[in-house]
Amino acid sequence: MDLSLLPQAVVSGVLASGLYALVSVGLALAIGVIGIVNFAHGEFFMVGAFLAYQLFVSFGFDPLLSLLFVAPALAVIGALIYLSSIRFVLKAPELNQMLLTFGIGIILQNLALLIWGGDPRTIANVPYRSLGFQVGGVSIGAVPLGSFVISLVLVTGLYWVLAATPLGRAMRAVAQNRIGAGLVGLEVNRVYLVAFALSALLAGLGGVMIGVIQSPTPTVGLGFTLKAFAIVVLAGLGNIRGIVGAALTVALAESLVATLVPNGDALRNMVFFAIIFVVLVWRSRRVA
Amino acid sequence: MKRIIATLVVALFAIAMAQGVTIGVLSPLTGGAAGTGQAQKAGFELALAEINAAGGVLGQPLKIVIEDTKADAATGVAAFEKLMTEDNVEFIAGGYSSGVTLALVESFRTFQPVVSWIGGAVSGVGIDGFDGIEELLGAEPWFFHVHPWDYQNTEASTSFMASTGVKSVALLHEDSAFGGPGAIAAAGLLQNAGMSVPLVEAFKSTLTGGTGDFRATIAKAAASGADALFWIGYDSDVVPLTSQIRELKYDPQYIFGAPPGWPSEFDAAPEAQCVAGLIGYLPNLPNPEAKTFLDSYVAMHGKAPDNYMAALAYAQLWSYADAINAAGSTDQDAVIAALESGTFKSPMGEWSFKPSVIALHQGFGSEMWNVFQFQNGVREIVWPLARATAPLQSCR
Amino acid sequence: MRGIARDLVVTVAFAILLAFLPGLLRELFGRASVSYLSLATNALVLAVLALSWDMLARTGQLSLAHAAFTGAGGYTVAVLFKLTGAPLWLGIPLGGLVAAVLALGLGSVTLRLFGIYFAIATLAFTEVLKAAVQRLPTAVAGGAAGINVPALFRPTFVPGTMERWEVAFFRNQGYFWVYAGLLVAAIVISLVVQRSRLRAAFTALRTNEQVAGVMGVNPARMKLLAFVLSSFLAGLLGSVEAHRLGSVSPDGAFSVHTTVLALVTPIFGGLYTTLGPILGATVLAGIEETLKRTFSEGYLIGYGVVLVASILFMPRGLVGLIGKLFRGRGAGGTGRAGALADARGASGTDGARGVDDPAEERA
Repeated sequence: MDLSLLPQAVVSGVLASGLYALVSVGLALAIGVIGIVNFAHGEFFMVGAFLAYQLFVSFGFDPLLSLLFVAPALAVIGALIYLSSIRFVLKAPELNQMLLTFGIGIILQNLALLIWGGDPRTIANVPYRSLGFQVGGVSIGAVPLGSFVISLVLVTGLYWVLAATPLGRAMRAVAQNRIGAGLVGLEVNRVYLVAFALSALLAGLGGVMIGVIQSPTPTVGLGFTLKAFAIVVLAGLGNIRGIVGAALTVALAESLVATLVPNGDALRNMVFFAIIFVVLVWRSRRVA
Repeated sequence: MKRIIATLVVALFAIAMAQGVTIGVLSPLTGGAAGTGQAQKAGFELALAEINAAGGVLGQPLKIVIEDTKADAATGVAAFEKLMTEDNVEFIAGGYSSGVTLALVESFRTFQPVVSWIGGAVSGVGIDGFDGIEELLGAEPWFFHVHPWDYQNTEASTSFMASTGVKSVALLHEDSAFGGPGAIAAAGLLQNAGMSVPLVEAFKSTLTGGTGDFRATIAKAAASGADALFWIGYDSDVVPLTSQIRELKYDPQYIFGAPPGWPSEFDAAPEAQCVAGLIGYLPNLPNPEAKTFLDSYVAMHGKAPDNYMAALAYAQLWSYADAINAAGSTDQDAVIAALESGTFKSPMGEWSFKPSVIALHQGFGSEMWNVFQFQNGVREIVWPLARATAPLQSCR
Repeated sequence: MRGIARDLVVTVAFAILLAFLPGLLRELFGRASVSYLSLATNALVLAVLALSWDMLARTGQLSLAHAAFTGAGGYTVAVLFKLTGAPLWLGIPLGGLVAAVLALGLGSVTLRLFGIYFAIATLAFTEVLKAAVQRLPTAVAGGAAGINVPALFRPTFVPGTMERWEVAFFRNQGYFWVYAGLLVAAIVISLVVQRSRLRAAFTALRTNEQVAGVMGVNPARMKLLAFVLSSFLAGLLGSVEAHRLGSVSPDGAFSVHTTVLALVTPIFGGLYTTLGPILGATVLAGIEETLKRTFSEGYLIGYGVVLVASILFMPRGLVGLIGKLFRGRGAGGTGRAGALADARGASGTDGARGVDDPAEERA
């Protein structure tokens, strides 16, 4: 065990929580407000990554600039998916929603395969992708730092929207009581539409980040999706602020194990899911 | 009833035969390995067009039937049995994924068609208690293996590392069946060649559930003080790995990787500078077919091949066409003899089937491998020296 | 009692059909029957997977751990054979047992988790198990490369008396029969559950655990019973698959794809019924193969469209659709769509898949 790497491990872990929070926040909205378990959320990441790639290839757009286009595009895609299918299964059992969104995911993934092929792609020129600042012997990466800041802003912003705006109050109202909200005159369907589009928009932002860090492929969303689900559940459904803490816990643990244990990086997923499992079980027993 | 159907089947079979030779292809066209499958498909399509433009096989146009395996074992077996019993092919091409290949062993042995197999590089040689593809199928007279075996990949990698004159190597490898078993062997070979290996470290690839944060692993490599970094992972790991090496200001003398392919457009990324990699096919290889292949590939598919699997598939189909024409019939023994004795052209130069450790018919060996280095956006061949287009540059 | 008699007749008839299907295919298609039998076997595998998952779902436990159970079964036979060379028939039941013991452990600690919390906990369990198996000493579990597993059936080729394809036919027939037996066993277990007091207990648990407790149902015991039944079948399935596919590896044996198929198929066919998962498996496998043979590119897009359309146009799955058709034709009330269909469940009189099902209220 090499303790000299400990400071770097802590910094890397804290910063990595940014990306985890970023990919989780949209999913939290979908599950928390609409109550939809969206199995196609990972494909929204994938579409976001590919759109950023395409904007770079076609127009030379930097991914940061692409954010301005990809986010609304994903919102539109999300809205269209909501209007054409999701709204019909809102009151259906969870399992029906899972099958529906799983089907949507397969469609998106294989459309991407037709359009972009299966080979990993590269957004070739991202000037800040390899940028790191040395602070007291520890390296701080520009991309992880950026993801961290963006996700903090998004989580805080979303929390504020939910807490302090009429739209947010409407979202919380329908989240808590679907029938009641309908009775007091809220247009439930419109609130859901906005929430789902927003969820897709947030996934699009995460997707652009993934496209910067990794190679866009039709299956690029998969690794993040399982983890995003787990983080949302660890935070507790509907608990947007809890995402920060949940993401920080697992990201830090992953980084520490990856650094301090031999072959530790290969244990990342084991550590991640072991924490999720233990916390969920422990919490359920404590409550009772 | 049975007799009528039997007669019908025979009649259909006869019609199929009269219409020329059909080769059955198994390839992962969808799912996580779709990149490889699509590359193979593109290579087959190009070869098919050229073969038929050159007069086809036995005077008839050659046909191929491509079946998707999804890189899934059960799907692969069903697809193979469809080719054998519905399409009635006598020759099998394509091939990828050790899991699928292991599942096909029994079925291959039952039907014993001529199987020319690109992928499934896990030989099993040197792994105690595990029977790999070479151990299970290599001695079969009808089995032809095109892609180098895992130990041949390792051999090429270590020879290159030894040629650089570095004293120590940090070895990072992904932890699944692709990078896991080979890493130990690679470390041993490096040490035999006189280099020290202060770090052998597994990481979770982006292809097998990882999220592409390799900082912890890279920090360990940096701390190991090794002169060079050698990593075995997938093509989707290239971008995160090379960018994070720079982010963490890790500066080994050489950064050398052995993924199965390189991501499209990575050549133009600044992170690519000075990164070296193992590759089967490059357009700037000295043999003239390398450039011809590139040109006709671009003419047909509108872009350069991203993955050397396209060149291997192309070479594989051409070897079948040449061998069947040389045999003068589709008689299995004659075709096997022609495959055994023939020398074939390919984008990688001339090749033939030779014995390997166990296999009777191994196509490309360690000599297929080249090491290229990204030098100012160009993939310069730096090893072996006989094919080099530029000298290897230090990253420092 | 009439219901039980009818179940018996239908099950026996189905078993006979399965027993004769390989011979029938061979008679009809000759050589090509090898291929059809392979596809039919894949559909059977999916059916057992789906039906075993459905049994657990009947108690309201939405599990994402099915790959853990099939994987445990597969690794049990592989490790047993690797270490001891034990006879092949021993490994398969042991694979089921190991999966059941694992499920007992998992089920006991997740008793108080519900809905998506339960789902994610079971998913996490699977991922941890996969990584742990990969990390076991290579001499035991083969590491990343995995373990070879010998074939269950290796018919010998006798030149002159038979053709090569017949060898493949006999092998495929062997696996088909093993899986047919497994499916019939699963059907019997499922019907016993549906025709006994367990059905009410399971449904009560799914609908409202507190009320179930008041009704005298022991939630823990019932949930664990469902877990054990379900995982035992899944473990057997994984054991046989290891033999059929020749090897096990961590990524293949514990694939999240298995888990997803286990849940998608019964939803498509009709949840909380015996017929639904079987019908769902047959139709889904058929649709995928047909699309694959029709379109050279992008056939999975069509597959996705089918799934989406199925939920929009037949929210109670195929069985719900059938139930509706039967009632629509005036064939009588619920429960007459066929014993296997278990149409009371299918048509939702007990809220099995009803939109008003309180069990589906989200947290």
